[in-house]
Amino acid sequence: MNTSTYLSLLSPECCLLAGACLVWLVGVSRSAGIRASMAGLTLAVVAVAMFLAWRCPSPEAAAVMPGIRMTSLSEFVRWATLIVGALLLLANWRVPADREQGEYFGMMLCSMAGVSLTACSNDLIVLFFALELVSVPTYVMVALSRTHVRASESAVKYFFLGALAAAIMAYGFSFLYGVSGSTVLEGGAGQSLAKYFAGDASWGPFALIGLVLAFSGLAFKVAAAPFHAYAADVYEGAASPLTAFLGFIPKLAGFTALIKLMAVCGWPAADGVSAPLMWMLWVVAALTMTVGNVLALLQHNVKRMLAYSSIAHSGYMLVGILVGPMWGTGPMRDGVAAVLFYIVVYGVMNLGAFAVLSNLSIKGEPAETLDDLAGLSRRAPLSAFAMAVCAFSLMGFPPTAGFIGKVYLFSGAFAAGETSLIVLAVIGVLNSAIGAAYYLKIASACYVREPVAEQSRTGGLTQSFVLAVCSLAMFCLFLRPNDLVRQARSATESVRTAGQASIARVDRGAVGIQPIAPSDDQEHAG
Amino acid sequence: MDSSAVQTWALLILLAPLAGAIAAGVLGPGVLKGRSHWPVILGVGAAVLGAFKLFGLVRHGAHEGAHSVTVVLYQWFAAYEGKWFNVEVLVDPLTVIMLLVVTGVSLLVIIYSRDYMREDGQAVKGYERFFAYLGLFVFSMVALVLGGNFLLLYLGWEAVGLCSFLLIGFYYDKPAAAAAAKKAFLVNRIGDFGFGLGILLIYLTFGSLDFATVFDMAERGVAVSGDLSYGRVTAIALLLLCGAVGKSAQLPLHVWLPDAMEGPSPVSALIHAATMVTAGVYMIVRCGSIFAASPLAMTIVALIGGLTALFAASIALVQYDMKRILAYSTISQLGYMFLGLGVSAAGSAVFHLYTHAFFKALLFLAAGSVMHAMGGIIDIRKFGGLRRVLPWTYRTMFLGCLALAGFPLLSGFWSKDEIIHAAFTQDKFLGGLALLTAVMTAFYTFRMFFRAFFGTTRVPEGVHAHESGLWMLVPLFVLSIGAVFAGFVGVEVGHGGMLGLFRPHGAFHHFLEPVLTPFTHGGHEAHATLGHFQEFGLMYASAALSVFGIAVAYTLYVDSPMLAMIMRRVFPATHELLLNKYHVDEGYDRFIVRPLRSLGRFCAAIDEHLIDGLVWLVTAVPRLIGMLLRSIQQGSLQGYAASMMVGLAVLLAFVLWGVIS
Repeated sequence: MNTSTYLSLLSPECCLLAGACLVWLVGVSRSAGIRASMAGLTLAVVAVAMFLAWRCPSPEAAAVMPGIRMTSLSEFVRWATLIVGALLLLANWRVPADREQGEYFGMMLCSMAGVSLTACSNDLIVLFFALELVSVPTYVMVALSRTHVRASESAVKYFFLGALAAAIMAYGFSFLYGVSGSTVLEGGAGQSLAKYFAGDASWGPFALIGLVLAFSGLAFKVAAAPFHAYAADVYEGAASPLTAFLGFIPKLAGFTALIKLMAVCGWPAADGVSAPLMWMLWVVAALTMTVGNVLALLQHNVKRMLAYSSIAHSGYMLVGILVGPMWGTGPMRDGVAAVLFYIVVYGVMNLGAFAVLSNLSIKGEPAETLDDLAGLSRRAPLSAFAMAVCAFSLMGFPPTAGFIGKVYLFSGAFAAGETSLIVLAVIGVLNSAIGAAYYLKIASACYVREPVAEQSRTGGLTQSFVLAVCSLAMFCLFLRPNDLVRQARSATESVRTAGQASIARVDRGAVGIQPIAPSDDQEHAG
Repeated sequence: MDSSAVQTWALLILLAPLAGAIAAGVLGPGVLKGRSHWPVILGVGAAVLGAFKLFGLVRHGAHEGAHSVTVVLYQWFAAYEGKWFNVEVLVDPLTVIMLLVVTGVSLLVIIYSRDYMREDGQAVKGYERFFAYLGLFVFSMVALVLGGNFLLLYLGWEAVGLCSFLLIGFYYDKPAAAAAAKKAFLVNRIGDFGFGLGILLIYLTFGSLDFATVFDMAERGVAVSGDLSYGRVTAIALLLLCGAVGKSAQLPLHVWLPDAMEGPSPVSALIHAATMVTAGVYMIVRCGSIFAASPLAMTIVALIGGLTALFAASIALVQYDMKRILAYSTISQLGYMFLGLGVSAAGSAVFHLYTHAFFKALLFLAAGSVMHAMGGIIDIRKFGGLRRVLPWTYRTMFLGCLALAGFPLLSGFWSKDEIIHAAFTQDKFLGGLALLTAVMTAFYTFRMFFRAFFGTTRVPEGVHAHESGLWMLVPLFVLSIGAVFAGFVGVEVGHGGMLGLFRPHGAFHHFLEPVLTPFTHGGHEAHATLGHFQEFGLMYASAALSVFGIAVAYTLYVDSPMLAMIMRRVFPATHELLLNKYHVDEGYDRFIVRPLRSLGRFCAAIDEHLIDGLVWLVTAVPRLIGMLLRSIQQGSLQGYAASMMVGLAVLLAFVLWGVIS
């Protein structure tokens, strides 16, 4: 367990953090030219991190180390962070003022490192710190992203509420430590949470309180009801490209942590000892979808609309978490793989939509409302097309990747064959229909309505590039989703084997559903 | 067959036109402008090359007894129970014939469009859009033909429909064109709805959408749950037929095709004559195992085909718009193909599809050339005697007209004769319909031809008539060679038959034979039941009828034009009825469109007053909650924190209550 093993396993994360320090240091240079080129340096750091991630030993070779455990899940999350993160970086290229570039992009690197560490962590304390490493820089970035007073206001709100959520989560972790006597998530020779929850008399009230509190803290990160209230204000206050960042990075971290936590406590089921937790998640998922969509329906401001829709998308993904990872062969039955697929797709399509917004300005102000988008197809046909593609994808309409993502999420719930999950999937499908109403409003504003305001393009080359990549990716992932699905599927292998309750559930599932044979994944055949 | 070679060439055929379309669409407006035809010409040219290559591979494979190969390009989408929807191509003789026809005619039409879409040497508005759409169409059509399962077939089917819509409405600022595009799309929706249901029923019945699996099960007469019932297979066949009727403009869904002539002439030639409208025929041949299992469905196919052929030909007798005459003629010829399918002569139907593509594309392009020269006017009452003004158009069109009229030894004669023959073998009534149509075809074709090209030279006022340039003429030449000689691949040179030299069913049919086994198993052998005399007698009869039709047209429109006037006076009611296309459009308007519109208005009123009110009520609840919360929460940090804590308390209470109880 020497330092060099750590370094080699975590080299991409180390690179991101060291890069952050470098960017901070160079970012205060006296030369304005150097200060203004920090975005380029940041991109170079991300590229190096990608190279290191590519060179990294594969998870099979890596043993469980104190505090971390490298799995296929962490590899998937790491790559998702780096690739989508690079796109986010390109979209944010011009967001901060020149003299603040160093701080802004350094914070961005820290946040990305945090997501990656979340996926590697195998200890409640490491997990907590990793999650805060994701969140704390985002508070700063919100404040730096605009000079507008609303940005400062939302940064303060975000900070205080984020701190509250962190406190709740830490409190929950302390309960978990209290009941189990260990902070280790799973694996290793000693006591761990997974071993504790695999035992029989483990689901006492204190364990439940710990899980509920921990879950609540994570629900804040993914903006799930009833911890969603901050999202609309913060998203509206931040600059549009940063909003895309906030919609993906903390969400990815939150869902990754949630998957790990659920794996440790053995995927709660509708009956048995873990039923109360399952039903709580069920209620939260249904509530999140509905609240997000209904509130989005009432908005006229596109940023607020997309903020609420972001809440709704978290609700859809919670369905996948509830389905769990092991309902049989093929991705149609793997809820967690569906979540991982969906979150990447969501990150890209959400970024596309926000990049269009940030590409436009109305009399010097960033575009925000539906009126600002009206008649966009006549001014900037390609931007309008990208907006339409992303809106259709968010809606879950073929031929875009959003459709495939939703099919996988909901069909997993149908395939599970449990009434409660089927009802939840039906709620999800109905909510998608509600969602169509406001996404279509965005698309029709771009194409059908006459221009209201004088639009001018503000974005640079990088933003046009991001737009093109995002809308193309939506088509490509529709035409050929299987590569990403396969990655997501292999990422869930580590959480499939964790915990004892899961095995009990598989046995139970065998009554109604085909038994599971993990090795005969059909997608490897082609 | 070497499946990796098949995969390579199939991918080329698919992707090259798409790449051309994208290049024209993306680079067209800014960079290429008047040169936007080049990427599409290159892309489709590559596809033609690929089609020939595949043809060679299939011929080679046929010698070795492997006539068909399915290549899975990749797994697309998972279904339940570990099943997958694949992106796969099926290459067999039928596929390569369709590919050759589609890519070949497309290439010629695209070359032709280079000049046609110009006015005084200047590219018309939307030039690059036009070529991008054409490229997209070629991609969609080859995808339809190559697709190895019903899902891909359906996707291609819808995509060609979309391209057709876009191209009919190409002149979108012209109200008639926009209306025609809408009509084509909506009428096709009716057919496609049935087609979609048919595919769903196939999935429910056979548990798969793969051609191989489905057709194998259909031939063995089994379904997922036990035996395949006659009712089920008939239902599937009729639903599929519904789609074919819409796409191939057969009765009663034929109304969209004549209106589709509002699109540019090359589009009429390519999409609404040679390729897309034949998709219905292709689909029925492809699904032969399903159709052959249901004699009832086959009878309906034959009846629809025979009646459509006669019905459309009779309308074409009196029309004045050159392109509409050709459109009705297309409907009528497609009717022949359906008739051929219905009487189990699928080989002859595909043969007719193939020859028809040549001469009908030729006729449309020649008509386009006339239209181009006449400054956009296509009414045969407004011009005449053009043979001196447009000498090359005149010559090529003459060959096209002869082929369409079924003049002996030209391509159209062979294929049409085979269908008439097969129809007679099966049923005297159907054969009679086909023969009557043949004589009408000869008449209306040459009525149009003589009125346009003979008599004194008349051109519309203010039009400087001129022969088209080489970009337009070369495709005409190539197609007229095809119109004359293409039929010979389908006849055998030997003893007996026409002129004692030619007998039907040649290399074309032998090549196609392995695909048509379901038809030949279930159907009748055309040659077995007719005597020698009848067989060749019919051939001479149809040749004589064709010449007779041409002669009548000559008498009425060149020799003594007064006779035509007198005829019109003598049968005013008939003339009126035909001129108004049997009032089908009016009937649809009165009995379908208007009631539906009233229903729509009724629904809109309900929506506006009832549903909107309900929605308002529903949204009022969150609004109310919002307003209640607003006092604590609006923008207030403490309010948000409080709501979080309340939420947390509720969740904890919920969970702990669950534990206790």
